[in-house]
Amino acid sequence: MNKRSDAFSACHPAVNFFYFMLVLLVTMFLSHPVLLGISFLGAFFYAVRLKGWKAVAKFNLIFTLPAMVIVAFINPAFNHYGVTTLFYLKTGPVTLEAIVYGIVLASMLFIAILWFSCYNEVMTTDKFVYLFGRVIPALSLVLSMVFRFVPKFNAQVKVIRNGQKCVGRDMSNGKLIKKIRYGLTILSILITWALENAIDTSDSMRARGYGLKGRSSFSIYHFDRRDVTVTGILAGLLGVCLLGFHYGFSFAQYDPVIKIGGIPLTPWSVITYLAWTFICFFPFLLGLWEDESFKKLEKKMRMDRDIPWYLKEDEPGSEQKILKTDMTFTEYMNGGKETEGGTECELY
Amino acid sequence: MNCIEIEKFSFLYPQQTVPALAGVDMTVEEGSFVVLCGKSGCGKSTLLRQMKTVLASHGQKSGCIRYFGTELEEVDERTQSAEIGYVLQNPDNQIVTDKVWHELAFGLESLGYDSATIRLRVAEMASYFGIQAWFLRNVNELSGGQKQLLNLASVMAMHPRLLILDEPTSQLDPIAASDFLETVRKINRDVGTTVILTEHRLEDVIPWADQVYVMDGGRMIADGTPSEIGRKLKELGHDMFLSMPTPMQVYAGVESSRECPLTVRQGRRWLEKELEDLQLKAAECEENIGGNGRETESVHHETESVRKRTHVFSEKEVPEIRLRDIWFRYERELPDVVKGLSLDVRKREIFALVGGNGTGKSTTMNLIARIRHPYRGKIWLEGKSIDKYTDNELYHGFLGVMPQNPQSLFVKKTVRDDLYEMIDGKKEKRSDAFSIEMSKRDAVAGIVSLTKLADLLDRHPYDLSGGEQQRLALAKVLLLRPRILLMDEPTKGIDNHYKKELGEILRKLTEHGVTILLISHDVEFCAQYADRVGLFFEGNVVTNKPAKEFFAGNSFYTTAANRMSRQFFPDAVTVEDVVAGVDAYVRR
Amino acid sequence: MLRDDKLDDFLDVFWDEKSADSVDTDFWEEPQGKEKLNYLEYSDLMAVPKNKGKLPPRTLAAIFLIVVMIPVTIWVGIHFFNDRKYLLISLFIVFYSMIPFFLTFESRRPQAREVLIIAVLTAIAVAGRAAFFMVPSFKPVMAFVIISAVCFGAESGFLVGALSMLVSNMLFGQGPWTPWQMFSMGIIGFLAGILFQKGWLKARKVSLCIFGFWAALFIYGGIMNPVSLLMSSYAITKRNLLAIYISGLPVDMVHGAATVIFLLLASKPMIEKLERIKIKYGLIEE
Repeated sequence: MNKRSDAFSACHPAVNFFYFMLVLLVTMFLSHPVLLGISFLGAFFYAVRLKGWKAVAKFNLIFTLPAMVIVAFINPAFNHYGVTTLFYLKTGPVTLEAIVYGIVLASMLFIAILWFSCYNEVMTTDKFVYLFGRVIPALSLVLSMVFRFVPKFNAQVKVIRNGQKCVGRDMSNGKLIKKIRYGLTILSILITWALENAIDTSDSMRARGYGLKGRSSFSIYHFDRRDVTVTGILAGLLGVCLLGFHYGFSFAQYDPVIKIGGIPLTPWSVITYLAWTFICFFPFLLGLWEDESFKKLEKKMRMDRDIPWYLKEDEPGSEQKILKTDMTFTEYMNGGKETEGGTECELY
Repeated sequence: MNCIEIEKFSFLYPQQTVPALAGVDMTVEEGSFVVLCGKSGCGKSTLLRQMKTVLASHGQKSGCIRYFGTELEEVDERTQSAEIGYVLQNPDNQIVTDKVWHELAFGLESLGYDSATIRLRVAEMASYFGIQAWFLRNVNELSGGQKQLLNLASVMAMHPRLLILDEPTSQLDPIAASDFLETVRKINRDVGTTVILTEHRLEDVIPWADQVYVMDGGRMIADGTPSEIGRKLKELGHDMFLSMPTPMQVYAGVESSRECPLTVRQGRRWLEKELEDLQLKAAECEENIGGNGRETESVHHETESVRKRTHVFSEKEVPEIRLRDIWFRYERELPDVVKGLSLDVRKREIFALVGGNGTGKSTTMNLIARIRHPYRGKIWLEGKSIDKYTDNELYHGFLGVMPQNPQSLFVKKTVRDDLYEMIDGKKEKRSDAFSIEMSKRDAVAGIVSLTKLADLLDRHPYDLSGGEQQRLALAKVLLLRPRILLMDEPTKGIDNHYKKELGEILRKLTEHGVTILLISHDVEFCAQYADRVGLFFEGNVVTNKPAKEFFAGNSFYTTAANRMSRQFFPDAVTVEDVVAGVDAYVRR
Repeated sequence: MLRDDKLDDFLDVFWDEKSADSVDTDFWEEPQGKEKLNYLEYSDLMAVPKNKGKLPPRTLAAIFLIVVMIPVTIWVGIHFFNDRKYLLISLFIVFYSMIPFFLTFESRRPQAREVLIIAVLTAIAVAGRAAFFMVPSFKPVMAFVIISAVCFGAESGFLVGALSMLVSNMLFGQGPWTPWQMFSMGIIGFLAGILFQKGWLKARKVSLCIFGFWAALFIYGGIMNPVSLLMSSYAITKRNLLAIYISGLPVDMVHGAATVIFLLLASKPMIEKLERIKIKYGLIEE
């Protein structure tokens, strides 16, 4: 896994999760063009940072954009409110208001999906399992087991498939009915295998005391000082936003006439929008800040090692790089080891 | 202090008339290393499970089991969970969660420890077992050996006083297995944890044991220190010797008043002394004309006969499997797995490919089975290029493949249904899978007789033991009448008795024109049953020779019998060879 | 049984197709009698509801929550969100209605084997969904959820349905549709369990297939289609609903057909396997 380290991903899973829930919920209930635009930019920059230009562009052009176009045109085709009629279709008059609203709706969906793509990168399965480990321990254990079983089963399906192929039952060619039958045979073999072997798993669980009263839940995540700071900042920004929304800066109306709150700009609306901007750009900015601190750090190191070039051959330049990507921001901030509990550093 | 005391313990499974355990006595001292052995199905696992209440099968019990003086049933569940660690056979099935760190913490979570304690214990375990490097990984990225080590570590994290291991290495390759057993021994030595172990691979563990128990048919037939066991079993004349380490097997076959040897080193010294004695005796009988020369001659004579068997094939005959300059890699960017491999397998022979893990043996088998395709080079089967066969020609009545895990072939709910499933059901209708005149019922009945499944026909395939499952899978494959049989690790996880049966079935098949190519880590099995053996290394076959010659020529990659006796009988490869050699000595 | 000395002859005939004349084909120790069919009758093998007709109190509590709490939420939603925010209301309802299921599962501290069964079934459903990734909508998940519900009860049915949607979305990409998918699949499992318990749904192919098709078209389609409308447009009118439902019909038909095919071909062996596991795990005695 050659994943780039990301400062926000290194935060506590709870921070990650609630951040995404917050941004997603707010985005999905906004119809205010300025706020949506900000949300879009935030999601877009963060997605690019996480996945790179190519992946984001490909994903959006192939999947999201066509869907967006369709959604944008459904609305005006079926809804005929508004005062500015542009032209007529069989279904009725097409209005400017309906078109604009269609575009807003489509972009809302689009932005939500973009945020979700970031969410998928950041909220890895183990974070999710951990997060709910305390609230719903049994279910989170079920989830953890499912994540254990799915790759195991997939591997077994391959084995079974090869075995079946060698007895002349190849799923990849033959008539459709045969294909389905062979496919079901494979599934059937898998199910028996999975269920029968799970008896061992249940023995192993009980042998290690599963079912005793007072089960605790352990994790390798820590809610450290930086997480507190981040939570504080986000909560503050959210407060400002909600206040602004309350005063109608998020108000937008498209029926019968287009009316948008907060515009023209007033100092208060500017503050609201700025707060929202900070929220949306938060992970991106955190990442930038981390990059910056590492650059400074590198400079420092370089000054320390000001030696002639011909001695530099032995310079562990590559190792330095590995160190850089491997070290999370948390560790850097904590000076690598200075966290509570002596065994910490081994666990990270 | 005795960790476990078992007195007159009997156990009867529900709806059975024969007790699984009958009047078993056993005493395990704290801190000792105890090995429990016996054929599969002798009640070992049943007994081990009775030592932990949550795992004990339900049924009728009598007698008692005490844990540190208290009746086991009265020891509460929490104490039992923490203090009695239990490691099962299959490394994969015991892992519960998806992350290594979570797995290590699982038992401690159950016991309700707080995070700080768990963190410390987990760190401790990770360091002791050398798990740090893969601490954050997903469990499915681990190898079999690592998985079993993880299982052991996560049991040890609970600081058990008693560690029970039920055939923990049967699914591992030899190197991973001896690493694992070494770790168990280290725990026993360093931490003082009491260990009770059952194993197929007794060569490694018997020498370490403080006490060995031998079971048969639910009874304890012998107990004592390892060398005592050797003598007792010999007196009993019991066929349990088949599962004992090679030196002990040789000891059983030879008249001797000395102490039973346990390791190859002891075996060699023992053999040396025995032969010296014999020589002295021979000298006394003043009939000493170059005894040693004649001796080796007789062994030579034997290898000659084996060679004759393989020599039936003339050089002109078309080889059954021919590989020429095969190159293969999984993906373009990845390194080559098979590199310029050329190999001929003759008709009617058992050819064994041996070699370490990840050298490309299984890949080669997949190439011959046409699951994968080489990017360079060609494969001929019976003189015809493999690509020219249709799927039907190839897989029905021509090429059979036994997968490593027999369970990956089982579909139906009884053995009988499962066999018929292979030839498209019970209806006497000819199909691609079954095109001969013989009725399906006769065919199934015949194959069942061959594979000795007759008594198991109404059982569920998963209720069979490992060796029986292996035979069922073989029967399924044989129903398609393969003339070439490819087998991947056919002896994995089965004990010596089953191996013997399997070997005999394979021999029978070759007599009827079947060619068998198998890959195996099991040196002893290959020495016993293969005609020729090839050593696979770095994507190629380094040498390939008749089995005896192959093993006699190697000094590390060879059987224990050879390592033990090579100074005296350089050509002896199996236990029988050594015993025969000594016998020849005696006869003079 | 084959006569011991005849094994070689048998193998010759079997492998080399030697004609019966050249070899003595009298292999058998005794004439082969008709194989006795020691199978249980079809109806014996199929799952039978325990305590037929009675629903456990937890299930009743769950029904109460769904029937009573949902209207309350809608009322609150309409009053506080000016009836425009269907999305918000429905989202809340979905979370709301899933909570009791999850909580009852938690509160009874499930045993190792229950946890395990649900995990295995879910993982198989997810693996099944992944296995058919190349055919959109043609998924075995629903068939599997229905069968799980029939064998292990309504609660397990719900959990397997909801969790398999959650997990497969976690593995293949989460989206705003996740909660609704979880809910629809869960409720199908739940319903199948209840109907089976009540004796209205039989563990027979026809009965299962009818339910499966109906569930795919009306429950899954019936929930997911309006949801896609909700997410793409706030204007919920009868005409819009009808339009989106009709446009979603082909997809639903494929889904329904897949469910029917899987149930038709796989329900019997699958139920047999699950029933065997129930006995083997000792789940049946309780």
